[in-house]
Amino acid sequence: MSAQLEISNLNKRFGGLVAVNDVSFTLRPGEVVGLLGPNGSGKTTVMNMISGALPSDGGQVRVGGVDITRMKPHRVAKHGVARTFQLVRPLPTLSVAENVLLSLAFGRKRHWGREARDLAEEKLAFVGLAGRGEEQVGNLTYIDQKRLEMARALASEPELLLLDEWLAGLNPSELRIGIDLVQHLQGQGMTVLLVEHIMEAVRALCSRCIVMSAGEVIAEGESGEVLQRPAVIKAYLGDDHA
Amino acid sequence: MKVQTAFALAAAVLVVLALAPLFIPDYWTGVLLGMTGYVTLATAWALFSGPTRYVSLATVAFFGVGAYTVAVLNEAMPYPMVLLCAAGIGMALALVVGLSTLRLAGVYFVIFTFGLAELVRQVVSWWEVNVTYTMGRYVFLPFEGRHIYWQLLALAAVTLLISWAIGRSRLGLALKAVGDDETVAAHAGVDVTRIKLLLFVISATIITLVGAIQAPRWTYIEPSIVFNPTVSFMTLIMALLGGAMRLWGPLVGAVPLFLLFEWLSVSFPDHFSIILGLLFILIVFVMPNGVLAKLEDLRKGGRA
Repeated sequence: MSAQLEISNLNKRFGGLVAVNDVSFTLRPGEVVGLLGPNGSGKTTVMNMISGALPSDGGQVRVGGVDITRMKPHRVAKHGVARTFQLVRPLPTLSVAENVLLSLAFGRKRHWGREARDLAEEKLAFVGLAGRGEEQVGNLTYIDQKRLEMARALASEPELLLLDEWLAGLNPSELRIGIDLVQHLQGQGMTVLLVEHIMEAVRALCSRCIVMSAGEVIAEGESGEVLQRPAVIKAYLGDDHA
Repeated sequence: MKVQTAFALAAAVLVVLALAPLFIPDYWTGVLLGMTGYVTLATAWALFSGPTRYVSLATVAFFGVGAYTVAVLNEAMPYPMVLLCAAGIGMALALVVGLSTLRLAGVYFVIFTFGLAELVRQVVSWWEVNVTYTMGRYVFLPFEGRHIYWQLLALAAVTLLISWAIGRSRLGLALKAVGDDETVAAHAGVDVTRIKLLLFVISATIITLVGAIQAPRWTYIEPSIVFNPTVSFMTLIMALLGGAMRLWGPLVGAVPLFLLFEWLSVSFPDHFSIILGLLFILIVFVMPNGVLAKLEDLRKGGRA
């Protein structure tokens, strides 16, 4: 089967700093893969280059066989890639439903009118915000803002979902809800790239992990095994623990 | 049903306004004319600047270009052609300006647009002095105040209609999203650059037409008259007072402020600018989202 996401030799420099150095990996359709690494290792930069938020300095990103390396974010979205942001970014002048309608109206199928409103309610119900479409986003709790962020991403009907620390900052019971949601998506066949620090979530969700450190991929493989490798432990905790 | 009632009401008001010059003294037709001009300017300004929050001070650049085009061409071709040319020139200028500046954000955009208005004025002055050897032009068109007023009224109605249609379209939703967070809007699939440019051009073209239609009123036109920056500031403050994010906001702001400015400029011609500035500060501090939003807040507060 062809790869859903194929990244080859991706590079990014910020001035003299090499943020991402020759990174390559692939995701098969329906796979949930963790992208791990200590702060500053380049995970979010890789995310930003996939979603088109940042231009790359070399290398290639292919989604479903199509080269999207030089595409602007709105075109990447139309090619079936959706993302959430590390810090939630609900649109405050729009209602909860309108936040979701935006992605429906400008996503892959350009829904509008009554049909779009029904679909928006459907997406909101899926993430646990049923019947709350008319509320102001400012009144939502943190977990509900995270839910909205997810609903907005799903509303563009992606084949590849990029979750940038979507589970961060949740309390244990909320975390359980969040993990269930991602598992639910997995059950529907969604391909997910998960940038995450919470190991409990990574173990529960990801069959495979890619670990980055200082801009390079230092380990890749089955989650349980990769997290035991000395190089990975060293990257996270320093030499003494390896 | 509700939409139909609103439309019927708006149409009735429009008819009354259109018939008004036949029954009122010429002075008041003049006041209505000026007021309609500013209602159109403020509504057109808010089309782009309201939802996107790109505060433009280039209003008078387009307004002046419209007026000047009529001054230059009014004897060369039939009047409808002149208006068409003015709209075309305004549109072309907006495209160039939009393409080069819409990546500027916040205060840089404000300063650029303010500078643009001044630049256009200087270029026109320089051209007239050094190339055409004319400073000041006459506009000879057989229009009375009411003829100009009727044209402006039609343009105002069309502008409100455009604003209404955009407000309920996916374009309107995208514009609000752009105003909130351009990055999120882009990742939701919105071509941010294109819709900003589109709205800037629509807004600027209407503003250019307001200038073009009003040109015959002055009879004598020169750059310092039609490129007066006060026009930009008044448009801005009117839209802010009423609320630039709402369909009727700019109108609600423009009507009372126009009357106030009329009275002030007659009664206190020397202190006009100071009062304008103070009013500006007051509005931004007391009701940054406009009168309509303030009223809504008060109503909600009363209920709670």
